[in-house]
Amino acid sequence: MTVAVVGIGRTEYLKRSGRTTKAMAASACRDALADAGLTIADVDGMCTFQANDSSSPMDVAWALGRDELAWANSMYGGGNLVADQIATAAAVIEAGLCKAVLVYRSLNGRSGYRFGTIEGPMQVTGENQYDVASGYLVPPQWFAMSARRHQYRYGSTCEDLGQIAITQRAHAVPNEHAFYREPLTMDDYLSSRWINEPFHLYDCTSEVDGAVAILLVGEDMVRDCKTEPVWLVGSSNSQSGAGWSSWDDPTEMYSRTAGPKIWANTGLNPSDMDFACMYDCFTYTVMATMEGFGFCEKGQVGPFFAEGRATYGGDIVINPHGGLLSEGYIHGLNHHYESTLQLRGNAGVRQVADAKVALVTAGGGPYGGANIYSKERP
Amino acid sequence: MTDARLLPPIPVPDPESAGYWESLSTGVFALSRCTECHRWMQVPQEHCRWCGATTSFEEVSGRGTVFSFIVVRHQSIPSLTPPYVVGMIEFDEQPGLRLTGIIEADPDAVAIGQKVQAIIRPIGESGFSAPSFELVP
Ligand SMILES: [Zn+2]
Repeated sequence: MTVAVVGIGRTEYLKRSGRTTKAMAASACRDALADAGLTIADVDGMCTFQANDSSSPMDVAWALGRDELAWANSMYGGGNLVADQIATAAAVIEAGLCKAVLVYRSLNGRSGYRFGTIEGPMQVTGENQYDVASGYLVPPQWFAMSARRHQYRYGSTCEDLGQIAITQRAHAVPNEHAFYREPLTMDDYLSSRWINEPFHLYDCTSEVDGAVAILLVGEDMVRDCKTEPVWLVGSSNSQSGAGWSSWDDPTEMYSRTAGPKIWANTGLNPSDMDFACMYDCFTYTVMATMEGFGFCEKGQVGPFFAEGRATYGGDIVINPHGGLLSEGYIHGLNHHYESTLQLRGNAGVRQVADAKVALVTAGGGPYGGANIYSKERP
Repeated sequence: MTDARLLPPIPVPDPESAGYWESLSTGVFALSRCTECHRWMQVPQEHCRWCGATTSFEEVSGRGTVFSFIVVRHQSIPSLTPPYVVGMIEFDEQPGLRLTGIIEADPDAVAIGQKVQAIIRPIGESGFSAPSFELVP
């Protein structure tokens, strides 16, 4: 059975929500249901991903007035799981386990638990314990380490990363929902403080409090919805346990596998995409995955952005909402909100002209995946 | 008394990592190695991830190459004061056998491809020790 996104919902993206993750998730889900013209009684599955920083599908469903769910899945992890969540929700519908699934992500990413900050005393278990002495325990260090290797191997530069930050910020300027909307220049970028060389401040995502919900249903329910469906065409996923030290080539990410896989699965290719929401926890993630998904040759992403090929009037619009870098870090699920808006033709002043097909990616380093959505039924 | 929030992060040894930490605390830098196919693996595994045989910890030379590095300028670990260099070191024993550690050098002096040697340093007052690295000519 073909599956479509029929509802999207979100909260504001704030510095300090003053709300629980449960309340924000419930708001975003209500918003998505209202968008679709459905009620919680129509939903029998819910899933989310979290890092012990959010509320469970059962609790959110309860808050929404639903007593039980046929499928309530909460995966532990980060942005690497977004594509998998969407694909799995679709598979659950296709398998007949559920009729309608809400996928949500809710976090107090700025005021609560915050990535990139550690307060001691800290006891480190599992695969990260070997990095305690160097304090190599946070994503802005892992991704910067990989970016340095890319610079060494392919001659990419900080200015190349800056082009990504600047382009995406320009996209966020007219986006009223974006957390950062001030235009950014190369001077601003280069003079911003170092976080971990080779990363400046503007290479890092904007952590916010907020929630997004995406409602998926099978084709049999699409006609009951008041929105134009946005169809899921295909997905790919590549999750490796290599970690940050054993991943053989940090100039590549999961996209070296998930990229070719999604094109093979769908029979589409990069030039078929009208826009792409590329997961951008850091600028470098966009660089490495633009290469991996086949939009650019190795080392050519900086020039691609600098020449205006990644924006309106170019080859493909990358992150028309500003991405996680500028709109805010709802852990990649806001990419799915934006893709749906764009494919419905409802993105207002930032509408990508004649947008019909889009790639949405999620993840970084050894793990991640992608989904392709289409305005037309596959 | 030291503010607990200023203490360095410490490992929580488990049955697969205990040998690593125990060796270091006696001044020996050892990594997990297959007893049959003799390949090294980091992180340690109870059984070889290639052939499934048992593993043991064996001393390594501590010699390696800077595979990549960052200069940390934003404090994220209470016990480490920026700027400092974190290197990803690839050991001479086997391609791809890597570990991160502080490179005890001026940030401007560090480059990918440089040779390094491990030196075992205590992790604060925790009783644990871990390798840091110094540049060698
Ligand atoms: Zn073996």
